[in-house]
Amino acid sequence: MTAPLSAATAGSTWSLQAENVSKTFAGQMALKGVDLSVAPGEVHALVGENGSGKSTFIKILTGYHRPDDGAVVTIAGERLAFGSADASYRAGIRVVHQDLGLVDSSSVLDNLSFNGGFRTRFGTISAREEAARARSDLELLGLSIDPRRLVRTLSPALRTGVAVARALRTDEQAPVRLLILDEPTATLPEDEVERLLEIVRTVASRGVGVIYVTHRFDEIFRIAQTVTVLRDGVNVASRPINGLDRRSLVSLLVGAELDETAAESAELNPAESAAAVRVRGLTIGRVRSFDLDVQPGEIVGIAGITGSGREALLAGIFGSAQRTAGTVTVDGVTVRADRPDHAVRAGVAYLPPDRKTQGAVMDLTVRENFSLADLKPIWRWPVIRRAAERQEAQSWLDRLSVRPQDALKRPLSTLSGGNQQKVLMAKWLRCSPRLLLLDEPTQGVDVPAKAILHHEIVEAARGGACVMVSSADTDELVALCHRVVVLANGRVVAELEGDAKTVAAISHHALA
Amino acid sequence: MSRRPVRLNLGLDRFSGLYLAALFIIVFGIWTPNLFLTQSTLHSVAAEQAITAMMGVALLIPLATGAYDLSVGATINMSAILAAQVQSQNHWGIAPAILLALGVSLLIGVVNGLIVVVFKVNSFIATLGMATVIAACQAIVTGSNQPLPPESTAWSNLTQQPLAGFQIVFLYMLVLAAIVWWVMTHTPAGRYMYAVGGNSEAARLSGINVGKWTWLSLIASAFICGIAGVFYSSLNGPSLTFGSGLLLPAFAAAFLGSTQLVPGRFNVWGTLIAVYVLAIGVKGIQLVSTVQWANDMFNGVALIVAVAFAVWRQQRKGRADASTADRQPARPDDPQPESVSSEPTFSGSPSS
Repeated sequence: MTAPLSAATAGSTWSLQAENVSKTFAGQMALKGVDLSVAPGEVHALVGENGSGKSTFIKILTGYHRPDDGAVVTIAGERLAFGSADASYRAGIRVVHQDLGLVDSSSVLDNLSFNGGFRTRFGTISAREEAARARSDLELLGLSIDPRRLVRTLSPALRTGVAVARALRTDEQAPVRLLILDEPTATLPEDEVERLLEIVRTVASRGVGVIYVTHRFDEIFRIAQTVTVLRDGVNVASRPINGLDRRSLVSLLVGAELDETAAESAELNPAESAAAVRVRGLTIGRVRSFDLDVQPGEIVGIAGITGSGREALLAGIFGSAQRTAGTVTVDGVTVRADRPDHAVRAGVAYLPPDRKTQGAVMDLTVRENFSLADLKPIWRWPVIRRAAERQEAQSWLDRLSVRPQDALKRPLSTLSGGNQQKVLMAKWLRCSPRLLLLDEPTQGVDVPAKAILHHEIVEAARGGACVMVSSADTDELVALCHRVVVLANGRVVAELEGDAKTVAAISHHALA
Repeated sequence: MSRRPVRLNLGLDRFSGLYLAALFIIVFGIWTPNLFLTQSTLHSVAAEQAITAMMGVALLIPLATGAYDLSVGATINMSAILAAQVQSQNHWGIAPAILLALGVSLLIGVVNGLIVVVFKVNSFIATLGMATVIAACQAIVTGSNQPLPPESTAWSNLTQQPLAGFQIVFLYMLVLAAIVWWVMTHTPAGRYMYAVGGNSEAARLSGINVGKWTWLSLIASAFICGIAGVFYSSLNGPSLTFGSGLLLPAFAAAFLGSTQLVPGRFNVWGTLIAVYVLAIGVKGIQLVSTVQWANDMFNGVALIVAVAFAVWRQQRKGRADASTADRQPARPDDPQPESVSSEPTFSGSPSS
């Protein structure tokens, strides 16, 4: 990790120099005098919980928001004109958003050309010229992708790579100075992350400054030279990564959260008792003949890289995905395949990994989402008792500190990701499930929300639920679970408990 | 950041239909007070539109559940024809005739559901095909000859019986609307259907039997159309073709209705407001001019303008709370032009 800070001080201008950037929305300050500088070739991690001002800051750079008076932003020495996306583009700022903005059903080539325009000859797209140009743009990032492939057929990391390549397309009028990556790895499987990081390193090596927004700490240490922590719109710290370790970074953000989780979980110490959940010979996707017993009060973690079969396991146990073979029983009751409604009635709850497409009914209100899984307690002929429903929902929202205060009557889509996840967690916890299946329960969730979710998971186990957590976040599994089952190539390769249960051991078995 | 600035809210969006109705009444009331501001105008508008309103209410059930039912026009027509034909030709009594019409409508709903849920044909295609099949069946039954209207006064009194000046069919419509409103907003059935329509996968993973509720929603819409068909037949006499003419107004009402009262959600009272606002406007135009095309022109333009307005409002809102820019179309699998398919999903924040 050479510090490119020195390169900057050695005379070359900063890629980005932002001073005193503030932004007030309707009397509330979202950003308070933030300073931030990025040198050419530097990867600068930007972290902060949801609502800390990260996205506001980025939107000011991209010309979407106009900052309060007094802000000065220079890009490669040139003063940036605020409030114009066009001016930001011409200054050399490029952004890759989390959702990438690619057209999945089109080819890589077409995607690369959509905003740069096609090269035409006599009004016809010159296919050969375009393809050659696309190939060279991709190769600059170390990507060897056939530009004729459909984006849909690419792995998630390669898709991100294409989005980056598109953002970096050479434009003689506006050379790229600063690339902003907004949570590029949030939906990326673990083994794809390294590929993406490689792409980012390649970009930086070409002298482009990179702002890298992420919730994943391990990436920060793998890729960034500098990290800036935002909290409540204030730049809490901008530091070179060398002097930092994970713990100090966490404490900059919120305090020692995972430690607390680990302590809570360990103190639980599930008594040796008959297993309430028995999985026998489960075969689904890549997983073959999976056996597992879970006792009441026990939290079992499932680890494994993409391709290990981990993604489909919990859906298979729940019965929402088609099983090839195997049985699942909860308290002796068989959970049928392909009938989630039966599973829910048998006391199984499943929090799916993708909130937007599987977990939430975004246009319904928070209240309606909350009570969806079980309307019986509030339904008394002839109507659903709204007052009782509201009261029950509000008490859960208070318990999980869901923001904003009046969340209950809002459409779920208007809440932040972390708060949405809390609502969906509450939806299942209120049903007091016997088996709680949590697939990536804290994905894309900020640190304080994580702490609350972890606490609730432990509480559910304390209440006698059997809990299974499948997560790509190994730290989370170690802190939260009593036992971690590691999958590789569809088989269980290790079951780690007690002192054997460490991040290093899990990674070792998962990759072996 | 998640808080939007508090804006003065006169309910111009949620209640725009009511404001528009008031505007129509004032304009035409000044223009032609002797013709427009009369009890008979009130009564005739109420009765004439009762059938359209019932269809709109029927339609919103599958729409809320995320399914299109394009066979409502054919169903209502079939029901009306059957009820009249077996009485005038086969000398059936009123009650058996009605039961037959309702039974056939129910069957249509069951078949619609079967095609959509079991054979997994997109509802748009399935019900479009069924509409054509039903029309063919109707031609077989009638031999393409319009049946004579039944002669009994009991039959015409079924809907034309006056009640406080209104024809009683208006009351039937209100009762039907109230029942559907109750089901959709106050029972678990309604919750489940809205959830399925909002995100069927999330609904399924919440333990809701998506197929069952989709099926039931299609049965409900066909059955209510059957009832409406019987009433139409009693009110206006059987016609071989009226159903297709009611299809667009019914869709217009349901979609316009989803911009009213609870924006972003298909809802019963919004649908009724939409039906009657359009009807008041059309009535006014008919009274001040003699043109024949006012009805069609007015309905078509109103639908497009209202939906365009709703989409525009949604976009503005989307920009206002850009912090949650992760809105997505709820039903990407429906082959609808973009403006319409995004229409029922625009999410206004309900109430203040």
